[in-house]
Amino acid sequence: MNTRIIISIVFVGLGLIIAAVPQNVTLPYKLTAEEMLVESNNRVQFYSPEEIAEIIIQKNPEFQLIDVRSQDEYEKFSLPNSINIPLTDILADEYRDLLHQDIKRNIFFSNGTVNAMKAWMITRQLGWENNYVMEGGLNYWAEVIMNPIPPASTSPNEEIAKYEFRKAAGEAIHGNTSIKIKASTTIEIARPPIKRKNTKQRVQGGC
Amino acid sequence: MAPLVSYDIISQNTNLPLAFAIGIGFGWVLESSGFSSSRKLAGVFYGYDTVVLKVFFTGAITAMIGLLFFSLFGWIDLNLVYVNPTFLTSAILGGVIMGLGFIMGGFCPGTSFCAASIGKIDAMVFIGGLFIGVFIFTEGYPLWEGIYKANFQGYPKISTSLNLSDGILALLVILAAVGMFWAGEWAEKKFPQAEY
Repeated sequence: MNTRIIISIVFVGLGLIIAAVPQNVTLPYKLTAEEMLVESNNRVQFYSPEEIAEIIIQKNPEFQLIDVRSQDEYEKFSLPNSINIPLTDILADEYRDLLHQDIKRNIFFSNGTVNAMKAWMITRQLGWENNYVMEGGLNYWAEVIMNPIPPASTSPNEEIAKYEFRKAAGEAIHGNTSIKIKASTTIEIARPPIKRKNTKQRVQGGC
Repeated sequence: MAPLVSYDIISQNTNLPLAFAIGIGFGWVLESSGFSSSRKLAGVFYGYDTVVLKVFFTGAITAMIGLLFFSLFGWIDLNLVYVNPTFLTSAILGGVIMGLGFIMGGFCPGTSFCAASIGKIDAMVFIGGLFIGVFIFTEGYPLWEGIYKANFQGYPKISTSLNLSDGILALLVILAAVGMFWAGEWAEKKFPQAEY
């Protein structure tokens, strides 16, 4: 038989098999407690302050920053272009369309990470996707973006480049004067060392 | 090497030499299959040579079936696979510009570098145009930032929009590809071109 006919039959046959198999047999809609533990330990839900700074500077429409602190705190200081959904109202009907959608990626932030993680865990457990957390919260933001500490002149180039980026991003977002935010009084867990897996990496390529 | 990097099995630094080797291989295959001739790509639009169409469709359905079976066996989590965001306006505009460039130049970016490396002058001119385009886009970015980011649609998949399972859509794409394969063969007989 002609090779082309054989290849065509093989492809159509494989297509028939895959069409007959129920979708996502291996992926449950809701997470079990064990999976939740694995996912929160993998830190796949985090966006670093550098990534957030880039999103803000580029006015990237793919993302929505959500401040989960109280309205008072939000009005005093927040990130540009962020909206306020206090953690206590996270399940309110009026916010459901914002948090349960498949268009934008929401990034929660609070002073530290505890409240943002609460918001993420609640929405994740409900099976709502596209919700993420800003690593370290506003305290860490103030530390690394608004007041970055210059590395020693003997530091590796990557460290110096990182510092330059942080400094430039801070100035682009908050202006030239470095603003000191008073450290929050809420007790937050100590930040574990950064080891983040990028869940969705942009691929470069094409023909 | 996307899944290996995403899962931290290999580092970004290992990724680069691997990408370099794969890139060399890709270019070598493109050149040895005759893709460095601009007539090959232009032929798709005139119907005398549909190899490009066949190659890319074969590549697409092979990758598609591979991913779906890998997901079925639990070897890959499709949720971790990057889906390009859809900006409808720029997708349409970009498609039109790219398509016009294909017909006029007879190259796509990959094949133009491939052809330039074996010394084709038309490919070098094409690459020159490519850089002029990049320059105009970046320098004029504030002018088209609005259009560039307009009409953001999220990360839609055709299967979810049509309310079909990924498997059924895959079957439809395979049927379309096989149909197009045979239609291409027919077109090549109908609009023959002297050897080039």
